[in-house]
Amino acid sequence: MAIGLKAYREICHGCGNCVVACPVNSLRSPEVAGGKGPTDDVDIIMIVEDGAVQIKNPDLCGKCGTCMETCPVEAIKLEEL
Amino acid sequence: MPKHIVSGLKYIAAVNLRKQGQTQREIAEALDMDRSTVSHYLNGRNLSWNSIEVAEMVTNFCPKDFLVLTHALLNDTERTRTIIQTCTDSKFKGAIRNSCIGCGLCVDTCLMKAIVLNDLKAHINCEWCCGCLICVEMCPTNSIEIKEVVD
Amino acid sequence: METTELLDGKDITVERAGEEDRTLLFKNHLCAVCGLCESICPVSAIETNPTGAMVRTEQDASKIDIDENKCVLCGMCSSICPFQALDLQIDGESIKEIAGYPHIIKSADIDDDECINCKACETACPQDAITITRELPSRAELITGEIDIDKDTCISCGMCEEMCPVDAIELDHQMPTSDNPVVATDINVDTDKCVHCGICKRICPVDAITQVCRICPYGEYEIAEPEITGTSYIDPELCVNCTWCQEICPVDAAKVTKPFEGELNIDSETCQGCETCVMVCPCNVLSFPKSTKAGVNAEKLHKDERFCIYCGACGKSCPVNAIEVKRTKINYTPTKSKAWKKAFESLEN
Repeated sequence: MAIGLKAYREICHGCGNCVVACPVNSLRSPEVAGGKGPTDDVDIIMIVEDGAVQIKNPDLCGKCGTCMETCPVEAIKLEEL
Repeated sequence: MPKHIVSGLKYIAAVNLRKQGQTQREIAEALDMDRSTVSHYLNGRNLSWNSIEVAEMVTNFCPKDFLVLTHALLNDTERTRTIIQTCTDSKFKGAIRNSCIGCGLCVDTCLMKAIVLNDLKAHINCEWCCGCLICVEMCPTNSIEIKEVVD
Repeated sequence: METTELLDGKDITVERAGEEDRTLLFKNHLCAVCGLCESICPVSAIETNPTGAMVRTEQDASKIDIDENKCVLCGMCSSICPFQALDLQIDGESIKEIAGYPHIIKSADIDDDECINCKACETACPQDAITITRELPSRAELITGEIDIDKDTCISCGMCEEMCPVDAIELDHQMPTSDNPVVATDINVDTDKCVHCGICKRICPVDAITQVCRICPYGEYEIAEPEITGTSYIDPELCVNCTWCQEICPVDAAKVTKPFEGELNIDSETCQGCETCVMVCPCNVLSFPKSTKAGVNAEKLHKDERFCIYCGACGKSCPVNAIEVKRTKINYTPTKSKAWKKAFESLEN
């Protein structure tokens, strides 16, 4: 019944809002904090890959819901997994 | 067959209660029997010796098995308490640690109704504790210790 | 004798019928997901869902999960919850009312003798727990004056009607007919509405209105001190003892005591400004201030600890651990139970 991060790649437009808004991502990568996709190899929670969001490190997620608020199409969600 | 074991247990209890000086009427009340049946039992009639032997074995089970079996047979808390208390020689003392949170689970679980809560702590009445250790197993904070009193 | 759990929407009821009937009620809408119940539970029967997700997003699950196989209905969660979300009842009576069960000490009262019904507390309360009613006098009781319109002189131009700021003047306008060739049949002033401002007198092109206001020269003698009555009510189920009402009250009529004392520390370097804590805080302690000067950055995350009850919800919700909540004291009623004292003290950090 645990609540966790889920990505709906088929809905995603690849805008990257969630990637740069995520406070965990921003703390780990100054590039992301500045509003860009990371070019370094810092581990962040999710990136845009092949045009859509891909969750890479769900264990880092603090389940704060910031990404959900920034997504224009509800392609990334915190829900019961 | 269960009722034969019950009869056997009631026989043993009746004999012990008589030794304690109770009248036939009092014994009948305590064991939910007819006074006439009490009279017959005390005069050694109307009961097969095998029933009594089996009942004797039951009283010699470990306290938990004796209690649980008797309660299952009688399905009556007061009569179960009477039989267990009357047919056991052993005495037990319960100690409650300060880790007791007063949840009352032991109070609800105790088949002998030997436990009460006071100021959010359990207290075990050694008059009724039969040493079955069910409360020790159930206690969520491992706060109960039961010891047999040996003179 | 077993423990049962029932879900009613997102509310939870856990029950055990025995020598006493014990019922634990959880009301989801009151829960701030602070985690105090989870921390105090001596049998680890409670698990909170992620605070940020539960407060900021729509979720079908309840804010906490109670395992009925572990819960023994001891009541510790009920006694520590500062939000009234958990209540243990024994034979129908809440343990908050049963002598012997310790409970956290907190209060919120409005002194009706001091209260002037200004409603600042009602507006400021972060939980909408306060209701203030007030009965104001009618306008007529606060003014004094005279007004008269000479209907023979009046030409029904309607300028006074148009200019009157309180719509106190009414003309019965009509399309003139050959048998009644006038543009209005009557003009009247509603003296309950009139505030004697004199605008109608001054605008009237034919000086048909005589009007005098007596407030300035005679007001003190003729106008009685207005009587404003009202009531105040703080809903004890919703109140979280944040002290907003106490701090905002202009006449010190509201008095609040908090259940916990402590410290709130923010690491602004680590904070990424995601706003989760601001939205999660049940006491409006946190905010993102705006810059007041061009070229000068505002403080990243502002706190006002006057309103903080040190529940810890913000720290729990922060995904980068930028907030530390320390509890230095828990105020609770005396108890003989060493286990309960230890449980309360374990929440001090």
